[in-house]
Amino acid sequence: MALKAMGLGKRFPGVVALKDVSLTVEAGQVMALVGANGAGKSTLIKILTGYYEHYEGRIEIDGQAVTLRKPADASQHGIQAVYQEVDTVLVPTLTVTENLLMNETVQRKRRLLMNWGALNQRARNILTEMHLNIPPRRRVESLVLHEKQMLVIARAVNQRVRYLIFDEPTTSLSLPEVDQLFRVIRRLTQQGVGIIYISHRLAEVREIADDITILRGGEKVAEFPVGDFDVGRISEAMLGTAMTEAYPPKRVEAPGDVMLEAKNLSRRRALQDVSFSVRQGEILGIAGLVGAGKTELVRALFGADRVDSGSVLVRGKRLRGGSPGRAVRQGVYLVPEERRSQGVLVEDPIRKNIALPFLSAFSWVFGIMRRGQEVARTQAVIQDVGLTPPNPHMLVQNLSGGNQQKVAIGKWFTRPPRVMIFDEATQGIDVRAKQDVYRLAQRVCDHAAVIFSSSDIDEVIGVANRVIVMKDGRIVAELAAHELDRNLILEYATGARRADGSLAPASALPLASAPEIPPQFSAEGGA
Amino acid sequence: MANAVSSEPSRQDVGNNSLEKLKNFVLDFIINYGMIVAILATLVYFTTQTESFFTAQNLLLIVRSSSWLIIVSIGITLTVAVGGFDVSVGSVASLASMLSVALMVIWEWPWQTAVLAALAVGAAIGLVNSFLIIQLKIPDLLATLGMLYFADGLHRVITQGEAAANGMANPWADRTPTEGRIAETFLELGSGRFWGGTVPQWLIDVMPENFFIRGSLFQGFPYAVVLVLVVAVVFHVFLQYTRWGRMFYAVGSNREAARLSGIPVNRVRLSAYVLSGILAAIAGIVIASFTGRGSIGAGADTLLDGVAATFFGFAVLGARRPNVFGTVLGALYVQALLIGLTQMGISDFYQDVIKGTVLLASLSLSFYLFRGRS
Repeated sequence: MALKAMGLGKRFPGVVALKDVSLTVEAGQVMALVGANGAGKSTLIKILTGYYEHYEGRIEIDGQAVTLRKPADASQHGIQAVYQEVDTVLVPTLTVTENLLMNETVQRKRRLLMNWGALNQRARNILTEMHLNIPPRRRVESLVLHEKQMLVIARAVNQRVRYLIFDEPTTSLSLPEVDQLFRVIRRLTQQGVGIIYISHRLAEVREIADDITILRGGEKVAEFPVGDFDVGRISEAMLGTAMTEAYPPKRVEAPGDVMLEAKNLSRRRALQDVSFSVRQGEILGIAGLVGAGKTELVRALFGADRVDSGSVLVRGKRLRGGSPGRAVRQGVYLVPEERRSQGVLVEDPIRKNIALPFLSAFSWVFGIMRRGQEVARTQAVIQDVGLTPPNPHMLVQNLSGGNQQKVAIGKWFTRPPRVMIFDEATQGIDVRAKQDVYRLAQRVCDHAAVIFSSSDIDEVIGVANRVIVMKDGRIVAELAAHELDRNLILEYATGARRADGSLAPASALPLASAPEIPPQFSAEGGA
Repeated sequence: MANAVSSEPSRQDVGNNSLEKLKNFVLDFIINYGMIVAILATLVYFTTQTESFFTAQNLLLIVRSSSWLIIVSIGITLTVAVGGFDVSVGSVASLASMLSVALMVIWEWPWQTAVLAALAVGAAIGLVNSFLIIQLKIPDLLATLGMLYFADGLHRVITQGEAAANGMANPWADRTPTEGRIAETFLELGSGRFWGGTVPQWLIDVMPENFFIRGSLFQGFPYAVVLVLVVAVVFHVFLQYTRWGRMFYAVGSNREAARLSGIPVNRVRLSAYVLSGILAAIAGIVIASFTGRGSIGAGADTLLDGVAATFFGFAVLGARRPNVFGTVLGALYVQALLIGLTQMGISDFYQDVIKGTVLLASLSLSFYLFRGRS
């Protein structure tokens, strides 16, 4: 019993997106699909889920050839996908039951009226069978992200899924939620479901996968069982070159003046009495799980959200809150968490994005834009941050994730920053683009202060000179360069170690019980 | 797949054969020039159908009689550009039209202050609209719908439901005759012309036969046409070439990304509604000046025609976003249709059917054909 693809290929005008890729997903096994952005993972998934009418190659299920020309073909053959953006496949204003049993409730033609009691009971049974504790009558819009994800999985299972594809499922999950997801995946494999698991996070791949397939430039470049797992080998296969050093060297000179100071910042339930300062010449890392209040903190610093009390000082001068415009004029810049919806204007060309924050620098009398200057500046930024393709007029939506992020960063370089804040700046971009982001952060900190906030603890350790750890909207630890240690940060971030440095008793661990993250934080900055 | 290209290519799979290429060429042509071709075709059609259509006098009539529509439509275009919508413009035009005349006739104000008062009322309504939308967070359509009723009611209250005109009975003073008069200067704006006179022979020779009817006497350009031209050029430059225009479009395309880039989003939205209110008031003044009175519901028609013109504009040159050039063409087209069909003797209920069909066709152009192409 297996899903077999032979010689899959897909071309677009001027681009070969996927070329002669063969792979086999055994029932009851997890196959991890790894590759940089643009390696062809999405294209492969789209073929398997019936997104394209035309593709090259042959697909077999249990030795039977099948053709997948529309999504209905794929689901009829038991192939389904759980995408990162689960919201696109759920109806927020309907209840859990209505979403879970959507196919049946809309297709039941012979009955005029719904028996909601029975349907809710059925939904409850399905959910408890999967050890999910989601009330069937809740509206989907009130669920947190991982609950929605579980709901999508439950729906797939209820529709007799045989091959389930996960596309970066853990990007926005906290550790306990990842654990729960993995438990569900293991149960599915025990029931004979074949899994394709796509992730940038190699540690997860090692934990969950049976086999690993690596794509690069639309072709399959390596395939091996998880027993042969080796980070160096995987990165080499992904990038085509050996990764010499993941993080650029940190600045060693002593930091200069205090550029930004936060004093007792509090915002109802999201931030509690947060105080810290950051100096020119240093990168301050903010570590913490998803939902710890990192995004709330950096948005408060930038004036994107109001605070209930406390103040932000830029070079000793108080920054009035509530308006990012004021922060920008003081040289405080933010590279926001959600690149596509907050960082760039996807429908506009690169040049308009680059000019946006400092339009007056590109305008003349009566505010007339000087296009030549704008294009010249954009070309300089393209050179500077290493954007490909180097075309100032290209629409941002046609760039890869990493290049979009470089636009979101490069647009600030028109006027020198005093404080530059990166929020989850490397989420969903490939390894090479990540290194470019680290390099840019290091360069900025020569003349300014950098705040680097991330849920990826290794990354924070690799980049920052000093780290503050957040949990439930508070700073629970501040660690100097020589104290940076993965486990120590994790202990603070999960509550295993208290703010006073003592270890918490095992029973108090949030990992052991339900996560104690209030639901409204979990979808960070989602509003 | 090349690294630089997103993994979401267009849904339209394109082969290499020449038939596909031809199809793409044709589609591109339709998207970019379809509206303009349609407009030209309509003009040619009317020219062949009625003798008097393609004459200097008639073309100027089309422009002049669409002048207030164009001005209102530009206001709508501004609010749509910032991602909003203003349906109160028709009522505001009626209100400004009624108010300016009533102030001159009933309260005997000089024309300058009457005009300024009407403009101020337009601006004030824009302010209130933006307060309702930005501060109270009422959806734009609903807030301005409420304002539509409010302003419409108000313009009838001013004269107690009568038209305002020279010599009307004063509804606020026991229907005694009013002493005030609509100033001649005020009327000039709508009906005045300049550069009238004899057309030089060479121009008559160059232009098509019968282009200048009534011998060779040219009546001159209406002032209203100049006003429209100035407003259109100013706002076209404003939206396309200034940093404020950039801000308008940035706010309209992604409000949060614009805000996080330091754009004063709420100030931009407020300006759009205030400008929309002022433009509607200007349109109302032009109507009053053109008709020489303040009629009930004088500007009401401009709302729907203005919305149509704005969305016609989406399809011009493949813009797919609100733009002044497209809007002006759209408004002229709506008016040319009206006048051409009237001159052909087609009754007004058929005219609306035709107008609806044309609008739907142009919307299909911009939304259906464009999908997945960029």
